[in-house]
Amino acid sequence: MGNIEFEKITRPENIKLPYMLDFYPLEDEKNTKISRFFTNLKKGHLTTTNCGECRKLLWPPRIICPHCLSDKLEWVDLGSEGELYAFTETRLGAPLGFVQDAPFCIGMISIGGLLISARIDNAKYEDLKIGGKVRLKIVELKDGRVFYRFRRTS
Amino acid sequence: MRKVAIIGGGTTKCGKRQATWRELVQEAGKAMFDNVDNISPKDVEALLVGAAQPERFTFQVHVAPMVAEHLGIIPRKVIATTELMCASGQAAIRYAWACVASGIADVAVAFGVEKMYMPDMAEAQTNMACVLDREWDGVNAISAPPFFAMTAQRHMYEFGTTKEQMALVSVKNHHYSTMNPIAQFQKDVTVEKVLQSPMIAPPLNLFDCSGITDGAAGVILVPAEDAKKYTDTPMQIIGSGQASIGNAINNLANITDWVPLRMAIKEALRTAKISLNEVDIAELHDCFTISEIMEYEALGLCEKGKGGKFIENGEPYIGGKIAVNPRGGLLGCGHPLGATALLQSIDILQQFRGEVPKGRHVKGGKIAVTHNLSGPANVHSLMVYARG
Repeated sequence: MGNIEFEKITRPENIKLPYMLDFYPLEDEKNTKISRFFTNLKKGHLTTTNCGECRKLLWPPRIICPHCLSDKLEWVDLGSEGELYAFTETRLGAPLGFVQDAPFCIGMISIGGLLISARIDNAKYEDLKIGGKVRLKIVELKDGRVFYRFRRTS
Repeated sequence: MRKVAIIGGGTTKCGKRQATWRELVQEAGKAMFDNVDNISPKDVEALLVGAAQPERFTFQVHVAPMVAEHLGIIPRKVIATTELMCASGQAAIRYAWACVASGIADVAVAFGVEKMYMPDMAEAQTNMACVLDREWDGVNAISAPPFFAMTAQRHMYEFGTTKEQMALVSVKNHHYSTMNPIAQFQKDVTVEKVLQSPMIAPPLNLFDCSGITDGAAGVILVPAEDAKKYTDTPMQIIGSGQASIGNAINNLANITDWVPLRMAIKEALRTAKISLNEVDIAELHDCFTISEIMEYEALGLCEKGKGGKFIENGEPYIGGKIAVNPRGGLLGCGHPLGATALLQSIDILQQFRGEVPKGRHVKGGKIAVTHNLSGPANVHSLMVYARG
């Protein structure tokens, strides 16, 4: 045993949260063809693509219509007022990157003819009801990326 | 197409295991080969490995060759990992079946494995949030419990289903798992205990949810005409059905009516040339209590919206209209994603062979369906098995 070396080594204890674990999309034109969604969002508009040929409203925003495979898509505004179709509150088991926010509410929201998921801020589970009104809210990360949430208005 | 039979299988014990991913593979692999006489790893021509997220749970990809190496299998026809999240194991069975039915391989192994316990459980929860559309749903922290919580909320709102009715599913499946020595949970629960368990995401309490589980299992498939060379008690694959609609929440057919399951059961019964009332055992994917209730409805065991009443009336118990999850279900046995479908099929094999404890044995059972859903219940996969 005399010749065997034992050495303590280190590893980084804190690393920057990788993009693939922070969940938020890469938004600029260098990374996606739908960067318009995010520039619209920065101006306060929740938008999506509508098919210019078969006229179907698409969510999430796309570059090809899955119904008719057309690439002639147009941007449309979904408005800012939605209604709660369903909701819950994450109390236990939040993913990394969201653990510090728990408990927080999540909903399925009817807006502009779509059913989309989103975080519901300013509310506890008990404050919400199916059919309740919610209004668009925009959150911005430190690096400038933006995303949509909703807040309770009724 | 050739007819195909399962001639044997083996599993690990399921739960929080003091064993690595590769050790689970070795345990289940040995149990599988030990279960069948006159066959050795070198006879296996096709190997399909159901694994949902090995790259995130154990930081290992290219896992089918890892399984082959550990079990001494040298596939000469087909080798691949199959991923379909919670139905990854059924995908493995399905492709192994296709390999044998088509004549590509004469001996195929369908295997499944998942090591889900991690030192930091937030990391495990994180993995479950990239199953729906990660950039548009996962980004809102929608992992499995919040999605099924909202499904349950809508079902309660639209059809008057109650928390107590949902709890009864947990009570039933935990009861059967007390008689399953490989189950993760082997204790009875009561409605009160379910309702008093910690709230995960309302209206779902802890005992409304299946567990985080380590486990592995595998089965061996051969042409039906060869099956008697290996065993007197094979199990025939007589039908299957699978359907998928959308993945992001906006694109699901319906939140409270699992349309793809309606499509899949129709196809499964058509291919098996049977009617639903000929099915003796149904292993249904009870990842959450609400799931089993909605499965009664979509399979056509009861009217739409009456799933809660169906369990309240004792119909899905052994001796009722149909035995649902006499294995103990995912709620009782745990849910090691890639292994779950294999665990279900092996339990059906043991049911047919009369190898399960008396209290959960479906006497005289001849036909069984096994079911897995995956993602936001937008994919439904069914296999139909027959004794003999």
